Amino acid sequence: MNKPSNVLNKEYWRSLNQLADNEEYRKYLENEFPEGASELNSPMKRRNFLGLMGASIALAGLAACRRPVEKIIPYVAQPEEVIPGIPNYYASTIPFGLESFGVIVESHEGHPTKIEGNKKHPSTMGASNILQQASILDLYDPDRSQNVLNGGKISTWSAFEGFWKGMHKEFSANRGKGLAVLSRSFHSPSMARAQHDFMKTFPQARWVNYEAVSDVNIYAGLKIATGRPVQPVYRLDKAKVVFALDADFLYSETDNIRNARGFADGRRLKSEKDDMNRLYVAEGIFTVTGGMADHRLRVNTSQIINLAVALVHELKSLGARSVVADQTKPVQLPEKQAVFINALAKDLIANRGKSLVLAGRRQPAEVHALVYAINNTLKNTGNAVEYYTLEDAGIPDPDEFDLLINDLMTGTVSTLAILGGNPLYDAPADAGFDLAIQIAQHTIHLGSHVDETASKCEWHLPMAHFLESWGDARALDGTLSVVQPLIEPLFGGRSALEIVQLLADGTPTRGYEIVQRNWKKVLRGNFEHSWKKLLHEGVLENSASKPVGTKMKPAEIAKALNGRSPAEVPSAHSLEINFVASPALFDGRFANNGWLQELPDSVSKLSWDNAVLMSLQTAQALGVKNEDVVLLEFEGRELAAPVWIQPGQADFSILLVLGYGRNAAGRIGSGVGFNAYRLRTVKHPDFATGLKITPTSEVYEMANTQDHNSMEGRPIVREASLEEYRKEPNFAPEMVEHPPLVSLWEEHSYEEGYQWGMVIDLNACTGCNACTIACQSENNIPIVGKEQVRNGREMHWLRMDRYFIGDIDEPEMVYQPVGCQQCENAPCEQVCPVQATVHDSEGLNVMAYNRCIGTRYCSNNCPYKVRRFNFFNYTKDLPEIVHMAQNPDVTVRSRGVMEKCTYCTQRINEGKYAAKAEGREVKDGEIVSACEQACPTNAITFGNINDPNSAVVQMKKQNRNYELLAELNVQPRTSYLAKLRNPNPELEKSS
Amino acid sequence: MAQIFPEWTNRLPVIIGAAVLMLLVGVVGFFWYYGSPKYTDVGYRPEQPIKYSHKLHAGDLGMDCRYCHSSVEQSPVANIPPTQTCMNCHTLVGLDKPTLDPVRQSWTSGVPIEWIRVHKLPDYAYFNHSAHLRAGVGCESCHGNVREMEEIMQVQPLSMSWCLDCHRNPDQHLRPPEDLTKMNWTPPENQAEFAGRVKKELNINPPVDCSGCHR
Repeated sequence: MNKPSNVLNKEYWRSLNQLADNEEYRKYLENEFPEGASELNSPMKRRNFLGLMGASIALAGLAACRRPVEKIIPYVAQPEEVIPGIPNYYASTIPFGLESFGVIVESHEGHPTKIEGNKKHPSTMGASNILQQASILDLYDPDRSQNVLNGGKISTWSAFEGFWKGMHKEFSANRGKGLAVLSRSFHSPSMARAQHDFMKTFPQARWVNYEAVSDVNIYAGLKIATGRPVQPVYRLDKAKVVFALDADFLYSETDNIRNARGFADGRRLKSEKDDMNRLYVAEGIFTVTGGMADHRLRVNTSQIINLAVALVHELKSLGARSVVADQTKPVQLPEKQAVFINALAKDLIANRGKSLVLAGRRQPAEVHALVYAINNTLKNTGNAVEYYTLEDAGIPDPDEFDLLINDLMTGTVSTLAILGGNPLYDAPADAGFDLAIQIAQHTIHLGSHVDETASKCEWHLPMAHFLESWGDARALDGTLSVVQPLIEPLFGGRSALEIVQLLADGTPTRGYEIVQRNWKKVLRGNFEHSWKKLLHEGVLENSASKPVGTKMKPAEIAKALNGRSPAEVPSAHSLEINFVASPALFDGRFANNGWLQELPDSVSKLSWDNAVLMSLQTAQALGVKNEDVVLLEFEGRELAAPVWIQPGQADFSILLVLGYGRNAAGRIGSGVGFNAYRLRTVKHPDFATGLKITPTSEVYEMANTQDHNSMEGRPIVREASLEEYRKEPNFAPEMVEHPPLVSLWEEHSYEEGYQWGMVIDLNACTGCNACTIACQSENNIPIVGKEQVRNGREMHWLRMDRYFIGDIDEPEMVYQPVGCQQCENAPCEQVCPVQATVHDSEGLNVMAYNRCIGTRYCSNNCPYKVRRFNFFNYTKDLPEIVHMAQNPDVTVRSRGVMEKCTYCTQRINEGKYAAKAEGREVKDGEIVSACEQACPTNAITFGNINDPNSAVVQMKKQNRNYELLAELNVQPRTSYLAKLRNPNPELEKSS
Repeated sequence: MAQIFPEWTNRLPVIIGAAVLMLLVGVVGFFWYYGSPKYTDVGYRPEQPIKYSHKLHAGDLGMDCRYCHSSVEQSPVANIPPTQTCMNCHTLVGLDKPTLDPVRQSWTSGVPIEWIRVHKLPDYAYFNHSAHLRAGVGCESCHGNVREMEEIMQVQPLSMSWCLDCHRNPDQHLRPPEDLTKMNWTPPENQAEFAGRVKKELNINPPVDCSGCHR
């Protein structure tokens, strides 16, 4: 067989240990259940476990004689819309800074259990990301603030209302002098209205919006370039060539679902005749977007600006007209970068009007101004990028925040209301907020937790979760949607909207009234009718704004650039430090969310920690290795944190994500990781050079899953370049040669009825983990904690495998989601001594938990390592309120039981019931698995492989389709479409 | 030398063997019978907080099961009626009866009545009432002749093998829709023919796979 040789020659690796193939790694692999997993050592010792066993058997003998009495508690007056046993679905919106995510929430007899994207909302389009999926767990966080606190003592809402009545009178008299509100950023008509009311009552008061992580640089850059701080919205599906400057637009930055969908749409192929877009990335840290790149240039974050300048000049030298280039000096790039920019510029020019350049939120304003100029030159404005004015928005302003601190210090502001933020944790270390807050006479804090800030404030008010409060929101393009509660506040919290209105009026108003009052002005026609329709849809149709026309001010851009001193090049003595919001915990607000804490980071695969990520060369220069604790010194501040070597990170540059190291997050999040905010300063909130690192003798153990469940070097991920694919369209299925597959026994026939199957398109998968968390939420998958993750006992049914390819310093990256492959000849079934795992007639490899006796033979015999074992009863000890987040349609597993992906068998059953009730067959696309539903890029397709017209069959017919380890003749039902990259031939030659 | 063991000890192994065997049979038999749902669950009749009589309501007064258990045809769950359903009639009927005090109390105070569950499947088994009714399985098949029960009790074992008996051969339990809530129903003579037809028409193929009930 003729195989494309360079496809096979690629070396895939998951960790440095694997690349070195050292003894430690081999020993690790030989153990099916990694270290300690087969010993009963934790949390109880073997001996006292046996003692307890003896006692509980004795007790069980007596207790088992009586049937436990179980009660049924019906409603007194059953709400009309509730039918016990049938979930209801409501539309709502997750406000998230200036963004908002339209969602559909599933509710079982009044308690919400699952969040999905709303197809009608432009920023989710039916999909979701990890933060939305996991925010259901936040609702049931037992550590949420449960009381109004006054001076740390339990108080009441009426006491606070009484207090504010007095204050209101006082401030009404002096027009609000000395009063200030520190709000989070918002994008909501009702909130804007409440703010307006507040400022009308107290014209002298201050209103400051603050976010630790935001897009202020983008607005500042566009203000330079166009005179207005407009909001860019990208249409990546219209871009043939994309250049991302330090921008993780697919995963951790603004509008990532829409961007990922658009990008994947531009990359979807049906056959080798189709075309796909090309992504160039220049970045200093390794991001998910960098992993998707066709060309990734490893550059220090502080040097990215040089690339932008060089690109402007390169475009000009290729004939594009550019006033900015005329008025600025070109930069000298190292040769490799110059070649990259040259090829990129040619590609961009060739795709004028069909390309896009974008920069990340951490890049300075000048870069964003330049990016605007480049897009303008390339006529991309109005095509792949549109600009919107932000209406009803509270845009964060760090300068205002500094002024506020100043005013607090001088006593100009004596009363401060903090609405929803946690500035004592996330304000810059040198801002002095901790001192300022002590000087203020009265401080009021509204927050979901009694956090770092709450404990320093006079009043603390519990904040309602978005599923408990009324509100509204605008998407980035202006689309209006409502925030609709599904449950009364569990802990008596109130929303920021209600508090602002209370501050403004002096008397409380319910959120429902505030929101309705505003919408009466918006909705036309019969209000009751349109309001109900709005609540049903979640989104107001056709409410998106029109993109605004912008006019470039090239002279301003040039001026800003010329006024900037060149960035220092990092070296071993003066390293570069990068502050990036954690993709999972964001700015730290999700720190008490167990799902997000346990989720292995997409790139580093660290779970339950952050670390000082650095390249191998940097580590060698500093003489440190993984898990060594180092002392970071930056502008007179120190922080000790462990090292993790991250291939692909720029040299002499480190990354310490924000959001960790909290000390008042709650049971889950307190004391996890290291607080990068302690090094973050007002001047350098994003990155800076000048960091010093000194090794210490300490070692800190971390939980990293990159070597878990290795498939030992067999060609599991398959990829090729577009060119190779066109030469060898069948490269993927033909990659492994094997003799004709013959079964040892008579094979079962699966020709009748529904036969379920799945296809995962690796070309669309970005590795965003949305599927993993969606699966966790849908299937009641427990979290196990850091120690158990270290032991290799994480429970995710759908894991995200990450492979590095090639060079240790500048690897490519590829992702592969792996759940149970539902083999037709399942090896697990053949070794189960109690038939706890067997096949059903629809081709599913099913697991009867109650039969499982925990031999773990099945897991040993699974070639894909997708089976998960409950070493402990993880769910039993959870606080009762957390049980409310669980899906009542899925069994909760106990200790000693094996579990795994079931293709969401509960959803299959529901779909079949629904179809049968209507006397028809299940329609294609009617049953969606949780992972498929969440996937922002539509990479997962599930359906009936017996239906020749189903989407899944169409996908499986593609020539990129291959099965994992097909040579074992296990005949998996899940197959993959091989990944493709689309490198620029010009750059390929030179490298 | 005298023999240490008398002669009868020669039979000892046999006796011990027989005793052990009998003990074994006894133990197995004990659990076989007393441990099975047929013994442990059938006949379960806990005292309910209210002496509600199905015989009176469903039997003598002839109310349809679905008047109270209203979600049974739409939902996996056959709901226990809310207090409201009781009060539909009992604001007019039985005003002087002290046995109804808890109902009135629940209605005025808003505190639900805590009934004791009689028919209980394990948490890992997912039973769907609506699917069974759609197929034509009557209430009686699982719940017995409720119209004659003063207090509700369990009459079938509700064990997995009992479920499977019917799933493998449902013919004798399929009824026309109008007979679903009838009690003392006996299959007509042409039942086999009826079952055959209805199975085809309604696409009835009861699952016998694990995934049919366990998720």
